[in-house]
Amino acid sequence: MECQNARSMIPSYLDGELSEAQAGPLRQHLLGCHPCRGSAQDLKNVKRWFADAPAAIVPAGFAARVARRAQQGDTGELVETLSTPRSDEDRGRLLSFVLACTAAAAVLLLVLAIGLRQFGLPQTDRLQAEPPAPQLGKALEELDRLNRADLNRADRAPHVLPKKP
Amino acid sequence: MEQEAPDDTRLVEEALQGSHVSFQLLVERYEQRIFNLIRHYTRNPVEIEDLAQETFLKVYRRLSSFQGQSAFYTWLYRIAVNTILDSLKRRGRSPVQAVEDLEAVPHAPSVACPSPSATLEREELARITHDVLEELPEIFRTVLVLREYEDMAYQDIADLLGISIGTVESRLFRARARFKERLLQKHPEFGSDS
Repeated sequence: MECQNARSMIPSYLDGELSEAQAGPLRQHLLGCHPCRGSAQDLKNVKRWFADAPAAIVPAGFAARVARRAQQGDTGELVETLSTPRSDEDRGRLLSFVLACTAAAAVLLLVLAIGLRQFGLPQTDRLQAEPPAPQLGKALEELDRLNRADLNRADRAPHVLPKKP
Repeated sequence: MEQEAPDDTRLVEEALQGSHVSFQLLVERYEQRIFNLIRHYTRNPVEIEDLAQETFLKVYRRLSSFQGQSAFYTWLYRIAVNTILDSLKRRGRSPVQAVEDLEAVPHAPSVACPSPSATLEREELARITHDVLEELPEIFRTVLVLREYEDMAYQDIADLLGISIGTVESRLFRARARFKERLLQKHPEFGSDS
């Protein structure tokens, strides 16, 4: 057996995937080939890191609880939704949504502000005051007439100086 | 005389006929293995229980689709692994790497892989291995977990993941090389001892 062939078979050999007919010649090769034996040892060392992991703790009554929930038609989806923290992608989507809402609100406020300002401004280029309302005009004419009458009376009256005490 | 435990196929049939007890027996039979499997992907006990529960609830919902062509535990593991990987994806916790990078043949580190020291406590050894596994891309972590911890045959891994035996072999080869590389990067002190 050549080294290249032997090295490609070492993982399957150590994983127990080779038949005895395949494993026999490889074993013979390893006995006589120091570099290939080193490769096999290297892989054995990798596998040792996975040995003997302590068992996970199963909560008491787990099977009974799950069986009951299964029979009640529980799909487990609610549990997932409640217990799943938001992923970065979800957070990104939420942030985009909030930013879009903020931008829309800002545009709406701007449009409202411009609209309100438009209502407050004069609608024509003539900057003079509006003509007085008819009733107000009549009142002003009456006031003028009374003023003129007072002036006429004052002109006709004799000018007398007040006596000194 | 002790009564023989019913086989998985019989329990599945009884559960399909509405037997609550039979389904509970199936869960009891495999709960430890499923918890052990999930534990290699998350250390949070609440998440482990949630994922185990979700797995078994999915199993119950899909019992009628179990054809009995593969062993029940292979079918169960397939659902468990898919549930775990979906959850990792949703939580954005699967290490991301470009496909071409994953498929590249790794340079085998010239330094030999250190053997764990005999003085390492069982828990400490498991913690170091878990820390290294956590940094591997999901496809490498999964084949290593199934092969090394679950002691699954190549054919079972291939059936479970829906890939060929050749792909299982090449993934395992790359996964072991990555594991060794990351182990030496994270713990150079072990390399110097060898």
